[in-house]
Amino acid sequence: MNPNLSTPSSTQAPLVSAGTLKKLLFAFPLFAYLQGFFKDLVISIMKTGPVPQHVAVIMDGNRTFARKRNLPLKEGHTAGAESLVGVLDACYRLGVSCVTIYAFSIENFHRSKEEVDTLFGLLREKLNYLSQNEDSYAMYNKVQVKIIGNKAMIPEDILKDLERVEERTNHNFGKRVLNVCFPYTSRDDITGAIRSISEKRINHEINKEDINMDLLDISMYFGPETPPLDIMIRTSGHTRLSDFMIWQCNYDCTLEFVDTLWPDFKFFDIMAILFKWGYYKTLETEKLKHLGKRKAKLHQTAQDILKDLPAHPPYRSVSDR
Amino acid sequence: MSIGNTDETVATDAIVPDSITATALPANGDGLVSRKPTARVQVVKPLEVSTDTAQKHPPNSLRNTGIVSVFFWLVDELRRFIGGGSSSAANDSKSTGSTSTINLFITYFNHAILLIIFFIISIYKNYLYVRRRIHLKFLNLTYFPNKSPHIIRDDVNKLSRIPKRVSCIVNFKDEEEENGGIDGLINDISELTAWSVSAGIQELSIYEYNGVINDYYLELNRYINKNLKNYFGTEYVPNISIKSPHSSKVLVNKPEKPIDLYVNLLSKVDGKPTIVELTKTISELAINRELSVKDITIDLINDELVELVGSEPDLMIIFNPNLDLQDYPPWHIRLTELYWEPDNKDITYAVFIRALQNYAKAKVNVGK
Repeated sequence: MNPNLSTPSSTQAPLVSAGTLKKLLFAFPLFAYLQGFFKDLVISIMKTGPVPQHVAVIMDGNRTFARKRNLPLKEGHTAGAESLVGVLDACYRLGVSCVTIYAFSIENFHRSKEEVDTLFGLLREKLNYLSQNEDSYAMYNKVQVKIIGNKAMIPEDILKDLERVEERTNHNFGKRVLNVCFPYTSRDDITGAIRSISEKRINHEINKEDINMDLLDISMYFGPETPPLDIMIRTSGHTRLSDFMIWQCNYDCTLEFVDTLWPDFKFFDIMAILFKWGYYKTLETEKLKHLGKRKAKLHQTAQDILKDLPAHPPYRSVSDR
Repeated sequence: MSIGNTDETVATDAIVPDSITATALPANGDGLVSRKPTARVQVVKPLEVSTDTAQKHPPNSLRNTGIVSVFFWLVDELRRFIGGGSSSAANDSKSTGSTSTINLFITYFNHAILLIIFFIISIYKNYLYVRRRIHLKFLNLTYFPNKSPHIIRDDVNKLSRIPKRVSCIVNFKDEEEENGGIDGLINDISELTAWSVSAGIQELSIYEYNGVINDYYLELNRYINKNLKNYFGTEYVPNISIKSPHSSKVLVNKPEKPIDLYVNLLSKVDGKPTIVELTKTISELAINRELSVKDITIDLINDELVELVGSEPDLMIIFNPNLDLQDYPPWHIRLTELYWEPDNKDITYAVFIRALQNYAKAKVNVGK
């Protein structure tokens, strides 16, 4: 039985609304099975096309979600965490190797102390839940959890817990990575990279000529093994980047701003975005391929004409006799 | 000179150019700032050359394509997929027997379905394209500035607030296209300038990926002033300052008067390459013990980049068919509100005013 059925979604709603009917329908085992089958089909179809390597998500809208449904703030964050597991599952099953989430911004320290503590607690709880024992999500699916951001700002007890999570999931180092940005801002990231490069210069590890875009790239928190960002998603309709991965997302990256609140962002929402990306990627590669072919052909004929001409008569010149 | 399609009324010889004073960027400030231009010019230049030959267009610039060509490409793609797949899978099928052939068949089948869905999407996208274009045409009829600052100010005064700094990403179109080439770009920028002055915006940044406009400095200035005279009359023309941070050129028409609008011309060299140069300068200073590593803070970097490139814009209008930042200076898009109109290629007043309307509606809460 679905536990959601017993909780009334809103007070003035009629007894049988479209939402409750939908929930009832989804609660049937056959329907759930069909839905699972359909999801598998969608994933196996999409796997044959281009798949992004790195997806970043700004999970916005937990508080609006809670406010709209008259739930306590914590419920909103919990619903968001549930939604996250769904999205992670979809991405990893499809073959996305790296998912980055914006869990906590350095600017978030300006919030009330209670909420900051709640968020910290929730994050610790959720990460523990993901990696606690052998059949937890991260362990079972071999997902490596990485904490990305300014670790000097994390309270010590929480940092210890987070490091334990990192350590525990580290042995399955491999294809699937979950980057948790906590506490992170991109400007802090860039500044940190500049600082570490300066330190290396002082220690004479590198020369001035070695400083280039790639060195800056790998000096950031994400490190050299993170693939370039392909898609950045922000939910709940704000069209701002809010200091998240601004260095990584401004070149050859698809930005998606969706109006859905994060707790409502489910399997088919993420799939629609990935599908769209795959569509444009296919078109782009095809177009480039055709353009390249035509160009190569033109170039070839231009060269061949000169080579194919019959040999000219011998030179007779007045200057070099 | 054929500039644009909207300015037939302008007589080229009737306008006397203003007293133009081109001044070099004043090298004010202390050590850190003044030594930068020389360092930047040295190393940014080879970078520029290498990227120019590699690719002229910004990434992702191709979006809308005809249904027929999409169909042919997809068929081609499927053929290649099957051809490539069978050759590589031939070794596997020998070892594992019949199961892999079934798997192979399922993969082809799935890929075929994927391509069929792609084809349906391409039909849908073309439908959307037509619908959006009609919508935009309609909007262009509704919002027409008619070269009158009063109309623009009236439109703007309906809003609760406006941005102080606006940045626009513009595209350099082909010569053959309507309103294309360098003349078209100059025309577009001068229109944007006039709208911004009328709306009361203080600073306008124009970002063009390759920075072609930097070579047409004086022409741009002349045309902007010509266009402003169409809006404001020949007696009191607003005072504009045009600046290109990379080549450190500043152009002010009437240096003795207060400036009504600062125009900033940006290109991709003002983005990541500038941050790389800054890193070099800072690390040099750190080696010479003029700056301690502890003092490298966000504020320091921010001050330097504001000096080198400009302030962070409040609103960015992307005049592109799709949302693509085209390597825009990354430091400067932290909290910028982004606005773009899907499937729009042209720089029109309707898009401009809608961006401002959208900005007035948006809620900004840093970290909250």
